[in-house]
Amino acid sequence: MGGERSLACGRGIGLNGPQTLGNSAFFWVVWAIGLALMIALPLLASRYQIINASNILISSILAMSLCLIWGYGGILSLGQASFYCIGGYAYGIAGINLIQSSGNTELAILAGIIVPVGFAAVLGAMMFYSRLQGVYVAILTLVVSLLLGLFMRQTADPFYAIGKAAFGGMNGLKPAGAGDPGVPPLTFRFAEYSWVFDGRGIGFYWLTLAIVVLVYLGLRWLVNSSFGYKLIACREDLDRTETMGYDIRLIQLTVFCLSAAIAGLSGALYTAWGAYIHPDGFSVAPNILVVIWVVVGGRKDLTSVVISTMLLSWIALELAPYGEVSLLIQGLILVVAMLIAPDGIVAQFGAFIGRMIARKPRIAPNSWKEKIA
Amino acid sequence: MKSVEQTREGKVSILEVRDVRKYYGGIHALDGLSMDIKKGEVHCVLGPNGAGKSTFFKTLIGTERPTSGRIIYNGADITRLPAFRRVGLGLSVKFQNLRLFGDLTVGQNLFIALRRTHRVADIAEQTEVLLSRIHLLGAENRLMRQLSHGEQQRVAIAMSLATQPQLILLDEPTAGLSVEETRLVADIIANVNRHGVTVVVIEHDMDFIRSLNGHVSVLHYGRLFAQGSFDEIAANDDVRRIYLGAA
Repeated sequence: MGGERSLACGRGIGLNGPQTLGNSAFFWVVWAIGLALMIALPLLASRYQIINASNILISSILAMSLCLIWGYGGILSLGQASFYCIGGYAYGIAGINLIQSSGNTELAILAGIIVPVGFAAVLGAMMFYSRLQGVYVAILTLVVSLLLGLFMRQTADPFYAIGKAAFGGMNGLKPAGAGDPGVPPLTFRFAEYSWVFDGRGIGFYWLTLAIVVLVYLGLRWLVNSSFGYKLIACREDLDRTETMGYDIRLIQLTVFCLSAAIAGLSGALYTAWGAYIHPDGFSVAPNILVVIWVVVGGRKDLTSVVISTMLLSWIALELAPYGEVSLLIQGLILVVAMLIAPDGIVAQFGAFIGRMIARKPRIAPNSWKEKIA
Repeated sequence: MKSVEQTREGKVSILEVRDVRKYYGGIHALDGLSMDIKKGEVHCVLGPNGAGKSTFFKTLIGTERPTSGRIIYNGADITRLPAFRRVGLGLSVKFQNLRLFGDLTVGQNLFIALRRTHRVADIAEQTEVLLSRIHLLGAENRLMRQLSHGEQQRVAIAMSLATQPQLILLDEPTAGLSVEETRLVADIIANVNRHGVTVVVIEHDMDFIRSLNGHVSVLHYGRLFAQGSFDEIAANDDVRRIYLGAA
């Protein structure tokens, strides 16, 4: 009964609600078909394509983290890739140190999530509790990311090592000594059973796909929950939200940390995928690339952001052999997309489809009879 | 029967404003303002454009910090308290520009306003209570930006009532409303006040202020210029002069 009443207010329940495009049965059928195709992809594609597809899936997790904080929370972070890299380094360092003794990477994945959250908690507390907003947050997050990159580039000296893991400066994370292990693949262990997901394998692809689905569904639930409404209120008008009695600093800090956790998870997956992480990820280009994925898709909708990230990453891969021309073509796609669909090309297309479906009942064959009656 | 002014003397102050100044560089929006708001009264704040009325409200609710001075609410100094804590103590505001969430429905707007103090299961019922108080029953599924300006004004009032305030600040609640709608808002305010809520209103419409039958304060250059009953203020030559711009 409570559920029905809240639906009557148009607030939505569970995974569906006004904060996400696509709440109809039709949408979920198309969604399930899309998912089935992606599960079946290893049957249709080459090994090389699957390896790339895994990376694209990892990127879409990163994009969702920015969609949450910027699209829903209204906080533009231009340093989202830095949380990704921190997560990547944390996974690598913990993995190199623990893989021989524990035989799994479960703690390493946890480190890949917790370390960026800790970092975000400190940075976020300083920003939001001093009431920094808008462009200042964007600049500060970018500057912090650049500073971290600058530091990590200068860590080639063997002094910069944690246990068996050497930071490696420009060369990226590596084992400190000759006998130390490299960055391990994802390894899970339960009793005497052990599962290894190598970044080159189909198992890794399926695992990453499962994580994408879980993060996507989890975020859909979150943005349509009470917290999602507070988040959107913050995005639309911070002062007004505070004058309804909400501690906006706490809401912003919470979503900032959550977003860092998701970005860190994707960074950990990236490091496991390539067995490699280097400081280039802290620079301007990767940070802006995430923003572009989110903008072109439509920052206020999760589904749109996932689709656009996959499409743009795939286009970039396909165009890679053409060198500089590929950058020009990608740039052109972005400019055209933003000109014709400022709210996001996927989101606007999705809204158009939604309107077409909603129009159907009005031209239902028997509607004129009801009018006469 | 005693007049509003006679009964006012013995009442307790819910809000005391003591020598509050708010400077924006060289501009003195509030310049040593002191004022008492009595518990349970309707208090109208008048003043020509630029008198500091809206800044006054912002310092009361806490979205602006005063440069100096003190604000005392129910005996406690709230001058340094952030806005959300003041709302928790029972202050509430309707801004001059309504600041509603246009892309959400009326019900969703009220959901956000109600959620802090209510369980999800109780919100549908509370929404109905609020909508009936503003004479907009059945409007919960309408998109906010498709409402008329008058309806939006009323929803904005309902939003500020949703936080269960003891003292509500209404910045120009009848701006842009028809005569009929203005009367409706006056009814809503009277009803809210009857339930024990202290109401402070910034207004320009003299007929509306007369109909509220409350205490009137006039601001000028960020200070309290005059105060009294509506009739006293209406008869005050100095007040007329500042409104005509001759002062």
